Amino acid sequence: MIELQRVTKVFNKGNSNEFVAVDDISLTIDPADISVLKGPSGAGKTTVLSVIGAMTKPTEGRVFIDGREITSLPERFLTGIRRKTFGFIFQQFNLIKGITALENVMIPSYPSGEKHSSLKKRAMDLLQILSLSGKAMSKIEWLSGGEAQRVAIARALINNPEIIIADEPTAHLDTKLSEEFIGIMAALNKEGKGVVIASHDPLIYGAKVVDTVVEIRDGRIVDKEERL
Amino acid sequence: MLKRKSDVFLFYILANIFILAILLGHAFFERKRSQPFLMQRISMILHYQLTDLCLFTDARYTRHPSMADMNTAFQDHPFSFEHFPSGSLVTPPVHIRNNHGLD
Amino acid sequence: MAWIEKQRNILDFALSSLVRRWGKNLALVMVYTVIVFVLASILFMTHSIKREASLILRGSPEIVVQRILAGRHDLTPGRYIEKLAKIPGVREVKGRLWGYYYEPSTGANYTMIVTDEHRENVGTIAIGAGVARSSDVREGDMIPFRSSDGSYVSFEVTGVLTPESELVASDVIEVSERDFRSLFAMPEGYFTDLTLKVRNRKEVVVVADKIRRLLPDTRPILRDEILRTYDAIFDWRSGLLIVVFTGAILAFSIFSWDKATSLSFEEKKEMGVLKAVGWETSEVIAMKSWEGIVVSLTSFLLGVILAYMHVFFGSSILFMPVLKGWSVLYPHFKLVPYVDPYQLAALFFLTVVPYTAATIIPSWRAAIIDPDSVMRL
Repeated sequence: MIELQRVTKVFNKGNSNEFVAVDDISLTIDPADISVLKGPSGAGKTTVLSVIGAMTKPTEGRVFIDGREITSLPERFLTGIRRKTFGFIFQQFNLIKGITALENVMIPSYPSGEKHSSLKKRAMDLLQILSLSGKAMSKIEWLSGGEAQRVAIARALINNPEIIIADEPTAHLDTKLSEEFIGIMAALNKEGKGVVIASHDPLIYGAKVVDTVVEIRDGRIVDKEERL
Repeated sequence: MLKRKSDVFLFYILANIFILAILLGHAFFERKRSQPFLMQRISMILHYQLTDLCLFTDARYTRHPSMADMNTAFQDHPFSFEHFPSGSLVTPPVHIRNNHGLD
Repeated sequence: MAWIEKQRNILDFALSSLVRRWGKNLALVMVYTVIVFVLASILFMTHSIKREASLILRGSPEIVVQRILAGRHDLTPGRYIEKLAKIPGVREVKGRLWGYYYEPSTGANYTMIVTDEHRENVGTIAIGAGVARSSDVREGDMIPFRSSDGSYVSFEVTGVLTPESELVASDVIEVSERDFRSLFAMPEGYFTDLTLKVRNRKEVVVVADKIRRLLPDTRPILRDEILRTYDAIFDWRSGLLIVVFTGAILAFSIFSWDKATSLSFEEKKEMGVLKAVGWETSEVIAMKSWEGIVVSLTSFLLGVILAYMHVFFGSSILFMPVLKGWSVLYPHFKLVPYVDPYQLAALFFLTVVPYTAATIIPSWRAAIIDPDSVMRL
């Protein structure tokens, strides 16, 4: 269970360009669900997502993961929690160019000190599940949009996280690939992984598999819809 | 065996260090081997009462730097480019630099 | 062992990252290698020459006394010998006869020396290996010399010195006293300079002082001064090579500083991605450090190995055009490799450490960015 208590995030605090991205949000995310943060761009979805994913500390308020307060933890512990608990899929995928798909998938696990052979095997298995084994040795820039998306998913899964966090994953995908994406997320959810997606794409928040939709506007929650 | 980039790199570094070790070994044995020749050179220095190594023969102040004086032609400070390139490598002898050739 | 595995993983990524920009990095490694190569070559060569000099010049005369006339060397009268011999502490005084002979046909300068052993062998000479080479003569041949009155006198070569002695006597021509005096029209009773042996080594300075007072028109040159002269020769700061090379080093410093310190947007973004997918700041810095270590260690080892081969197997062939200068008679000598781990360590700290440090500092600044920054790009 991830709990945000009265979280506020202010960028450039005290400067003339001060900007309140998130304003007093309280929110509970069930790790068994597929949750969607919905809202126009600039509403603060990405910031809420990074607070949930322990990427950034809120300016005010507290965050609990499984009842443990993480806002006051130093960076080192936060990184550890992030590595174990979350897998991230970014808007532009943020894959590293010039190296192979396989290496990209392995990167998040490099610092764990896992044996190279076993890490490689896990990465290959993931690529196989996502039907990418033939592309393992291809460089990122040679992959199609759909393939790159699946590499990004594989990379999010390499540390076997409890929750997958995706930020506008379908922003650069066509309808077919967007549907494929939500399909993969549904499959992962069935296996017990939580999914949190920020999106303003109706294909995502309108999908049947989504359990909760939270609408955010101007840094505040304006609506919360729980589908049964 | 060398499947990983890091293995290739470490192997390369180890190979280099190994070669370097061989070269240091070469240096060691070469010094041992040249011991008699060193003795020969010392006896030749004694025999000829020489004061300098025979490195540059182009000018008299480069052939016997320690026997040179301040007035020798073209003998400038090492930093200035001069007539004989080797003169740039050979500094004026200490006793001249210290006493400005006055003694 | 997880730590080692972790570093190997990070090294894997660093290497991938270097290979990706292989053109730029290969150029960097090549320039870097050349720099190390030249520095190491100079270091090896000068250190070996200095070491050799300090070992063998211990055999040179303890004091040389030169007569100075109007600021120039002049012949030393034989009567100075007795005067000097009377100084307490002086064991032996000898007149030295030596000079230079310029051979117009080859353009070479020779050093002509009279020794006690050769004093009586009139009409014969023993020559250094360099002389034999430059004038293409062997034992038994006759060599003509142009005397001071313009006439030619021929001497028979009765001995050629060993190649191993070239470092000290490559250009030497050993000649009898009578031939020397008649060739150069040097008056009887005069010498080129005098050499002194002193009973107690500690008294050398005292004796030199007494010489200066007793014979004010002379200059004593002490062996210790000669040795110090050789220590100063090829000093790191001196010399044409270094001066010319300083420019190259500076250019490289600027180049590597720029390369190492200014991270491209691409690199910064990558570091953000690494942080976002769960790398710690220290791990990102470790990755960048590995990049620096790979580049500098590769160049260092390659440069040192090539330099060793260049100096001790290839007789410093690349420096020869500079060292050779104008001389015709160039001594062929193989330097004894006085190379030790301390020299290598010094070179290591001069080359590898600054570069690696220069890569760490800017990446440290870039690595502390918030992991979420990559989401906000």
